[in-house]
Amino acid sequence: MNTNNNVYTIVYTTIIVVVAAAILAIAAMALKPKQDANIKAETISQMLTAAGFASKEDLAKQGNDQVLAMYSANIKNAFLIDAEGNKTGELETEGSIELQDNLKQENKNIASGNPSLPVYVFEKDGAEVNVIPCYGAGLWGPIWGYIAFNADCTEILGAYFDHESETPGLGAKIKDEAWFREQFKGKKVNFSKPDDAFNIVKGGAPAGDDSAVDAITGATMTCNGLDAALDTWFKAYIPFLQKKAGSAAGDACCEDGCCEEGCDQEHNHEHNHQEG
Amino acid sequence: MNEDLKKTLLNPIFKGNPITVLVLGICSSLAVTVQLKGACVMALSVIIVTGLSSFVVSLLRNSIPNRVRIIVQLVVVAMMVILVDQVLKAYAYSIDKQLSVYIGLIITNCIVMGRIEAFALGNKPIPSLLDGLANGAGYGMILIIVAFFRELLGSGTLFGLRVLPASYVPNNLVILPPMALIILGCIVWVQRSIQKDLQEK
Repeated sequence: MNTNNNVYTIVYTTIIVVVAAAILAIAAMALKPKQDANIKAETISQMLTAAGFASKEDLAKQGNDQVLAMYSANIKNAFLIDAEGNKTGELETEGSIELQDNLKQENKNIASGNPSLPVYVFEKDGAEVNVIPCYGAGLWGPIWGYIAFNADCTEILGAYFDHESETPGLGAKIKDEAWFREQFKGKKVNFSKPDDAFNIVKGGAPAGDDSAVDAITGATMTCNGLDAALDTWFKAYIPFLQKKAGSAAGDACCEDGCCEEGCDQEHNHEHNHQEG
Repeated sequence: MNEDLKKTLLNPIFKGNPITVLVLGICSSLAVTVQLKGACVMALSVIIVTGLSSFVVSLLRNSIPNRVRIIVQLVVVAMMVILVDQVLKAYAYSIDKQLSVYIGLIITNCIVMGRIEAFALGNKPIPSLLDGLANGAGYGMILIIVAFFRELLGSGTLFGLRVLPASYVPNNLVILPPMALIILGCIVWVQRSIQKDLQEK
């Protein structure tokens, strides 16, 4: 048979491509439930790591079922909030655990002003731990993470970051280097500057700055991306965080006037923006 | 086992090693050799991909239209790589995350296409399968040797377990890709001093 004939070539390639596509489609469908379970357990173990229940390595060794069991045992409740920080819905925390893990979509929703943001409230040693996500663009692909706050959301208890394709040994250090995420412990979100509530500073955070950490050498683009992601998501969560802080501390924040100041600054900023 | 098959199977491991002699697949050997675990999974993935794609292409070899043969080969290789990636995502998720982009890049690994073009197109399926597996193994062996030195000297660990005393200060240069090239160079040097016929005059 003449295999160089045009019709033969076209028919042959069509058949090969269709067969390959069919095999891949079947494999993808068959493996999907297992893959989804892995992704879910991974997301949960990132939250548990941020909240300080276990180290990521230990959780990875334990397997998916243990991770889900640990989540169910320690979670108090999980819910969604809107842009004003009001609760809009509950997430299932036992049995079929629900997560709001489509962070990419929520990142778009934050920009459009109509987000549905998750808050996961764990109970650890009798105290509440509030875990919130963040999401943004790194150098090569998306980066995301989970940040754990104390009961009144004034102090960061821990953080865990992950990425899709940052450079190993450079940008990937946001995930690999423990010292980087350790820095977040004890830091605060700067409620009075909602547009720039947290900083990752190249060359080292200024001493005494409660809302800044050191950037990673050689990973400037990834750190800038993470800084932008934190600013965006903290801004979206600030109404909620402030409510928590306000109700827990009896409006300690507003007594010294920082709330009003914060509002003024926000207005000024918007004003400037319109002029610009 | 007859002589030809034995030669097909053993040649790529040392005498005709795809990395040190044919100089194929250098790029990925720089990227995935920071840790032994990753290198082992990568080696296994490449062995499976080279073996199966050589086998499938060899089955099709008499029917493939010559003008589009590279495209047909690529379809087969890409399908195998995606299958490996999907299986890893389902059964070895943490390792898949660690290897991330490099699994996808097996498609561009010159060894796969190189062996299909050079061997599978002109040989029967079983020898082609063996040739693919053996070349993958030759590649994997180098990968594991390089990763052994890089993890040992760069992190003081092997398979994540600490073997050098805590007082050892990890050499960060070894973690960076250039060091993989230097180690690779040393391996080529050792091999050429053993195998005199490879030396260039």
